[in-house]
Amino acid sequence: MEIDRRAFIASLGGTAAVAMMDSEAKADSLEHYMEEQLDEQVAATQAREKFPTVAEIEAQIETRNYRRGAGSLFVSGRGNVKKLTPMPKNATLKDFFELRFAPANHVLQSATRAMKTGMSEEVILACLLHDCVLNLIKPDHGWWGAQLFEPYIPEKSAFAIRYHQTLRFYPDADAGYEYPDQYFRIFGEDYKPPMHIEATYKMLKNHKWYMEPRLVTVNDLYAFDPNAKVSIDPFTDIIGRHFKQPKEGLGNDNSPSAHMWRTLANPDQPL
Amino acid sequence: MRVAATAALTVCLVAIAIGQTKPTNYKGLEITPLGIERAKNVALIDCPPGQNSVRGNARGEEEFIVVKFAFKVTPAFKETIVKKPVLTDASGKTYNTSVSIIDPGSKPSYECGFPFRVPLGTKAASIAIDTATINVAALDK
Repeated sequence: MEIDRRAFIASLGGTAAVAMMDSEAKADSLEHYMEEQLDEQVAATQAREKFPTVAEIEAQIETRNYRRGAGSLFVSGRGNVKKLTPMPKNATLKDFFELRFAPANHVLQSATRAMKTGMSEEVILACLLHDCVLNLIKPDHGWWGAQLFEPYIPEKSAFAIRYHQTLRFYPDADAGYEYPDQYFRIFGEDYKPPMHIEATYKMLKNHKWYMEPRLVTVNDLYAFDPNAKVSIDPFTDIIGRHFKQPKEGLGNDNSPSAHMWRTLANPDQPL
Repeated sequence: MRVAATAALTVCLVAIAIGQTKPTNYKGLEITPLGIERAKNVALIDCPPGQNSVRGNARGEEEFIVVKFAFKVTPAFKETIVKKPVLTDASGKTYNTSVSIIDPGSKPSYECGFPFRVPLGTKAASIAIDTATINVAALDK
């Protein structure tokens, strides 16, 4: 068994405390420490998570009264859905963040990390927006997300949002992206991406903008901290510089994705 | 068992007293290597550490070498973006980590683990953080 010397000595109260112990006491302490460590290691081994298979995940489909791909605004994980605050007349992106995407912790953490690691404003914006469409729909969220934002944001940001979905399935050690264990949980341990994802990956590998979606995935990985404190305020300037806010309000501007914004604004409409 | 345990403790204390790697000073950050671990599944937590819940996985003929460092912020340190560590193996090949050093001056001292996905059996030689090179070969047993 390997012993973490620092942890062991710290557990005894530090080097000064150890210096005051006689050999017998030291031996007792080390023996006790090793037993505790062994117990912990055995417990950790036994508790190692078993990930589901694709077949096991498929078997869960008929146990639910909703489809897994339904947007978060349409399904409540806890009890009934709540009545939503109406959107203001000339709704802005910030309004949607506050009234429809909230709490948006994951995308805010992701964008905060991109900002703190000195990434471009296009990438920071893409990180901020990359999963917002999950409130509307989940399958192929990269493509849906890019479509939602495309009329209003730089082409590079839309590219990054569209293709981050594909690159999430492919580790890239050079860029610092690892395959996440949450994907074993969500898709199954033996999951193989479908043909359109494989073909898209092949295209992206040789694309001059490969790093734009790749950097979204890198930040994506590190944006699941339940205790992180984040806010949209640090992004006000970037949104102001790069998001073409329609004066009529999102959903009222007759853009190719205006209907998607209206659906987000009014998810209780029956038709 | 008891004799062996006493001997092991003595080795521990002697190693701490005389064998500890000296800290490397990088722009006012004192960086001390603490150890190396190997794993197939690692926590992906930036530095200084938060509570990110996602873990990374190595498959097949790969594993992670996790290099642990202690960081101490001295008064000479000025807040800046610190580059990610890069691992060089015994043959000179380099590997990147997914962990970033973010807000390194936000805490006076902290410990971080940097995972590097490598082929099974790769031996670590050194870690470079921008212009600072830290020899870690002795820690990779």
